[in-house]
Amino acid sequence: MSLNSGVSINDECVTSYKEFSLSRGKTKYMIFKLSDDKSEIVIDESGGEKDYEVFRNKLCDAKDSKGRPAPRYAVYDVEYELGGGEGKRNKIIFISWVPEESDRMLRMIYASTREGLKTALGPAASIHADEKGDIEWNTVLYEASGGKAGK
Amino acid sequence: MNPSIPPSTAEYGGDEVSAIVLDPGFSTVRAGFAGEDTPKSLIPSYYGKYTYEGEEKIIFGDDIYVTPRPGLSIHNPMGRDGIVEDWDMAEKVWEYSFTSRLTGSKPGNPLQNGLNDALPDGELPTEMEGIEAEEKPLADSPLLMTESGWNPSKAREKTIEIAMENWGSPAFYLGRNGVLAAFASGKASALVIDVGASNISVTPVHDGMILKRGVQHSPLGGDYISSQIRALFKANSPQPITITPHYLISSKTSVDAGQPPQAVYKTFAPEKAPHESYRALLEERTLSEFKECVVQVWPGPNRLTATGPNGIPNEEIARSSPGRPFEFPDGYNQVFGVERYRVVESLFDAKAHIPDSESPFPAPTPAQTLPELIKSALNGVDVDIRPHLLANVVVTGASSLLYGFTDRLNQELLQNFPSPRVRISAPGNTTERRFGSWVGASILASLGSFHQMWISKKEYEEHGPSIVDKRCK
Repeated sequence: MSLNSGVSINDECVTSYKEFSLSRGKTKYMIFKLSDDKSEIVIDESGGEKDYEVFRNKLCDAKDSKGRPAPRYAVYDVEYELGGGEGKRNKIIFISWVPEESDRMLRMIYASTREGLKTALGPAASIHADEKGDIEWNTVLYEASGGKAGK
Repeated sequence: MNPSIPPSTAEYGGDEVSAIVLDPGFSTVRAGFAGEDTPKSLIPSYYGKYTYEGEEKIIFGDDIYVTPRPGLSIHNPMGRDGIVEDWDMAEKVWEYSFTSRLTGSKPGNPLQNGLNDALPDGELPTEMEGIEAEEKPLADSPLLMTESGWNPSKAREKTIEIAMENWGSPAFYLGRNGVLAAFASGKASALVIDVGASNISVTPVHDGMILKRGVQHSPLGGDYISSQIRALFKANSPQPITITPHYLISSKTSVDAGQPPQAVYKTFAPEKAPHESYRALLEERTLSEFKECVVQVWPGPNRLTATGPNGIPNEEIARSSPGRPFEFPDGYNQVFGVERYRVVESLFDAKAHIPDSESPFPAPTPAQTLPELIKSALNGVDVDIRPHLLANVVVTGASSLLYGFTDRLNQELLQNFPSPRVRISAPGNTTERRFGSWVGASILASLGSFHQMWISKKEYEEHGPSIVDKRCK
């Protein structure tokens, strides 16, 4: 086992993620956070808004108990056109959002728990962001599609 | 606040205890309680040795600087590559780092140590075993230690052996510097550039794991820069500069810039004088100040010896910026102009090395420079993850605080890896930069959830020292 925080993943994260991955776009995203007692990762919220920017703003506006920017994890259901009449595809991308202005301790915990959550969920692609510009729609599209769309 | 009172934030096995975090480097050892912002104990990795009335004495910590005792010599248990060479002394230096400021010496339990028992006449306590067990310095404290990415298995096993058997620690973990520094910046994947005293290293970290094939290091660290400054001083005009440490000066008079010093020197008879390694240690302190106040990294773009886009050599531009003054302990002072860039240029450009036949450092090869180390590190890892590493370059280590260092690094990265997503993350806070991996380890070891990571004493007893390679990957 590689060095990690030992923070556990609440079972509900995994079961809801399974439902989410089978929901065929009904749920577009899920956001996860560290519980207040810093012992486990729990679901923060999920939603079905089709507009990516609604999700991005929600993710990037997350605040900690003192009102400072706070890290989060998220999964987003990316839909893209393959082009050439091959139709649409859906891929789930895992996003770790750790803004530089966030609390040092939270940054450390989110970084050292990321791998545990990612492995538990098993999404197709992943991306890390510390600035809002790191997760522009085109970048996310590019990463999720393995370079077949976006950018 | 009394520094010897631990904070009560950590939990281990349900009991409130404070883990100790120990981050040993070539130049300093950082130790402190988990959960705190900075290491309470910061001591030199060097120790001193001298003979007094026929007995060998050893001194640790800041005491080594204080008194120029007859025959005092200075040693370092670490090798230049950052791997321990003298285990007995490394153990003692590290032990001093926490017993001096954190744990204190451990007295036995006063109810059981026998000292307070009413004894029948003429009988002395015979049960000594229990007392000894109580006296191990870390009997109550889990210990999280750090290590370089190239620490060999043997050294790792020796480390856990010391922690478990000699210090009596109930739980232990060994974390890689690179991973800890990446985590402390909020990143699970990063290219960690660590500029220390004896080494510069480039460590690719992906999903919280070190990519061993990519780890690169070379000896162009802070001590090498010191040797370059010495070479500069020797070649200085109008006259070579000698560093005379404070202990050799009884008084000084201020002199004009560039004028010979007018100081009254202390002299030691040969049998009273400390060993030359003591003088070298104190000279190093002056060189550190010089690095902090004067030395500057040419910010780029391009090398210092190159010519800029409008036909003006970069050296000319560097020369036209105002110089920086520096006063030596003997009162000699001078303004340093373009030379202050030259002493660090060889970290980026091997040809810029200032030759000095007496220096212990051979001239660097191009492969040892930072831009080449970065290239080799990236070549050693999968193509797909290179862009992710370049977007997350983490800079740590005290020598990375050289003025202009991150600007130049940024320029080198942009030139060598043209990509819209090259980004350096370097904490502006000097504490975090100097103690990056200690800070990361401090947070981890303070988490209640971290208890499942520790290697417990029982596991160690069952599996032996080799457990460290299985558990601390």
